[in-house]
Amino acid sequence: MGQCLRYQMHWEDLEEYQALTFLTRNEILCIHDSFLKLCPPGKYYKEATLTVDQVSSLPALRVNPFRDRICRVFSHNNVFSFEDVLGMASVFSEQACPSLKIEYAFRIYDFNENGFIDEEDLQRIILRLLNSDDMSEDLLTDLTSHVLNESDLDNDNMLSFSEFEHAMAKSPDFMNSFRIHFWGC
Amino acid sequence: MKYLSEWDQWKRYSSKSWKRFIEKAREMTTHLELWREDIRSIEGKFGTGIQSYFSFLRFLVLLNLVIFLIIFMVILLPVLLTRYKITNSSFILIPSQDVDIQCTVYPISSSGLIYFYSYVIDLLSGTGFLEDTYLFYGHYTIDGVKFQNFTYDLPLAYLLSTIAYLALSLVWIVKRSVEGFKINLIRSEEHFQSYCNKVFAGWDFCITNRSMADLKHSSLRYELRADLEEERIRQKIAERTSEETIRIYSLRLFLNCIVLAVLAACFYAIYKATIFSQEHMKKEIDKMVFGENLLILYLPSIVITLANFITPIIFAKIIHYEDYSPGFEIRLTILRCVFMRLATICVLVFTLGSKITSCDNYLCELCGYNQKLYPCWETQVGQEMYKLMIFDLIIILAVTLFVDFPRKILVTYCSSWKLFQCWGEQEFAIPDNVLGIVYGQTICWIGAFFSPLLPAIATLKFIIIFYVKEISLLYTCRPSPRQFRASNSNFFFLLVLLIGLCLAIIPLTISMARIPSSKACGPFTNFNTTWEVVPKTVSTFPNSLQTLVYGITSEAFAVPFFMIICLIMFYFIALAGAHKRVVVQLREQLNLESRDKRYLIQKLTEAQRDLRNRLD
Repeated sequence: MGQCLRYQMHWEDLEEYQALTFLTRNEILCIHDSFLKLCPPGKYYKEATLTVDQVSSLPALRVNPFRDRICRVFSHNNVFSFEDVLGMASVFSEQACPSLKIEYAFRIYDFNENGFIDEEDLQRIILRLLNSDDMSEDLLTDLTSHVLNESDLDNDNMLSFSEFEHAMAKSPDFMNSFRIHFWGC
Repeated sequence: MKYLSEWDQWKRYSSKSWKRFIEKAREMTTHLELWREDIRSIEGKFGTGIQSYFSFLRFLVLLNLVIFLIIFMVILLPVLLTRYKITNSSFILIPSQDVDIQCTVYPISSSGLIYFYSYVIDLLSGTGFLEDTYLFYGHYTIDGVKFQNFTYDLPLAYLLSTIAYLALSLVWIVKRSVEGFKINLIRSEEHFQSYCNKVFAGWDFCITNRSMADLKHSSLRYELRADLEEERIRQKIAERTSEETIRIYSLRLFLNCIVLAVLAACFYAIYKATIFSQEHMKKEIDKMVFGENLLILYLPSIVITLANFITPIIFAKIIHYEDYSPGFEIRLTILRCVFMRLATICVLVFTLGSKITSCDNYLCELCGYNQKLYPCWETQVGQEMYKLMIFDLIIILAVTLFVDFPRKILVTYCSSWKLFQCWGEQEFAIPDNVLGIVYGQTICWIGAFFSPLLPAIATLKFIIIFYVKEISLLYTCRPSPRQFRASNSNFFFLLVLLIGLCLAIIPLTISMARIPSSKACGPFTNFNTTWEVVPKTVSTFPNSLQTLVYGITSEAFAVPFFMIICLIMFYFIALAGAHKRVVVQLREQLNLESRDKRYLIQKLTEAQRDLRNRLD
């Protein structure tokens, strides 16, 4: 756990990040601070990268059951640059628009990355959510079939992106639960 | 290389700076939001269900503050300006005509030295030195305020402020609940919550600590299992035989009669307690012991609190035998408790009303109300509402101090005793707490007409309750494994508040329109009833406006208007039905499309195979 060169962010960079993401000024500075604490010593923050483990150990993601999927979706070549972290925070911020959140939620929940959320993905989501060792097969298949009954409109036993979008537009808790506002300060 | 023209450059620069300005303004307004940090930390530690309770409490603080501002601007400000000679205005006092002189007698007891304990009793019950203050209706015996350029009609302003704050509350609550209601309408499923919502939006990404995460996992486990259980029970219900159905329905009828009997018994007890308290309140203070005096003054409040404590337990026991699905059980119990809590206030107010208008001597025909016992009945009703509010606050503080904290101390330090281990730490019961504050708000709505400063007291009371509940939550409660969902909660809280508002409007309209106003005090001494201000004001309008107003309120206008509204409502219902049918048809079409797609893909692979076979 080293410390990057403690450069203060340039004013133009801050303005640019504010214009390009949904984050407020304070949030960007806060993430900048947390990034500086974790990145390897002696490097400029714009060139430094964090490993997936370092980002997974951030307090915001530490106890999230989907943290490995989040890291996989938002990282490039399994490392996080500063702008990757900002992008991730922007998607999870309060001001982000619903369509962006739904798009990234679909990518996070698609475990096998085949472009659809199929039964196997659903079972893995439910197992992660319940986090219990004694899970009967009936319970899993019951829940999976209920979810597909509700949202699979063309009866192909998987959820395409438009079906997922339609289901999340109807869901009242999605916008409230799919956000992170504490990034370390 | 192309450069932007000067005009385009300036447009881009100005739009960027405008966006920056809007963002800065938004950031600043979020700093102004009351208790933002507290509610955020509660959300992080206890989940969104409990956080929605505290957001609801904050909403009520703001609502009461705005109501008090309306009353202050409209009623208090002119009176204060004139009384303290800040502006060059004077009061107009019109002596009442066509009213018997006996009706205007108002014996205000003003004693010289007040003993300390009678001072405390006066403070707690609004009598004595508090009776003729700005707190109560009786102080505003003013018919108008004469400013330099115009005359301010105080009676009309008083009535309009009441209507204004009721209308404002209604509009604000409906506006806040529209989001929750829209979502309920969109959901076409019969059951309360969809599985999609629970699976894809089930995990709260805000959670940052391990214990909260474990709690969320266990609550999700509980919820999903309970939903599947409910599904199974619903199937079982659908498969009931006819004789079982008859047995269950007759049992339910019997149990509902028991519920009604319990409600009737509680209402009768409150009626008796109110009558007893009113009759004995007039005795001399020094003839009674200190505690006895307070007991009689607070008897209605005590009976209401006891009834509200016992009946939920009885209802919870009864609903076991009625054999409903678990989700419906919870909802029905809560509905019964809500009705019980709010109806008790109405019973109290109606008892008072019946006492005020019933008399056994000739004075009732004279003044229209019981002048001997209630020379200024609005002030007395205001005093009852004031007592209810103070007692409610005392009970909440006492329960937190004498039940919650000792329980926590006992469970932490005497955990070796089996009894305390079983009892366990307490959980934050959301429905009870919400009913408590809706009860307080209903009292405020009814009482604000009779006691203009009551909304300010309500604001202070809710602020105190916020901090007390927050401290109690953080130090004595453990998070419950059964968690309320925030989307459900918001809609439920506002629905209960709306029921409270409707139940508050009923006694107010009856007292304003039916019961003659006091002739001895208050702004309406020159009118028969409070509502009479409006017709008298309309009769001072120019003739054309008068005929317009009379036309709008006549039957010739009201009946066609009502019929048109019904037609519009039927049109929208038909439109909604047609949309639903279209949605069903579209879903079937999607189904067919996918079948066609699979059929075509199958045909394509077959054709490719044939082609390959032929080539080989």
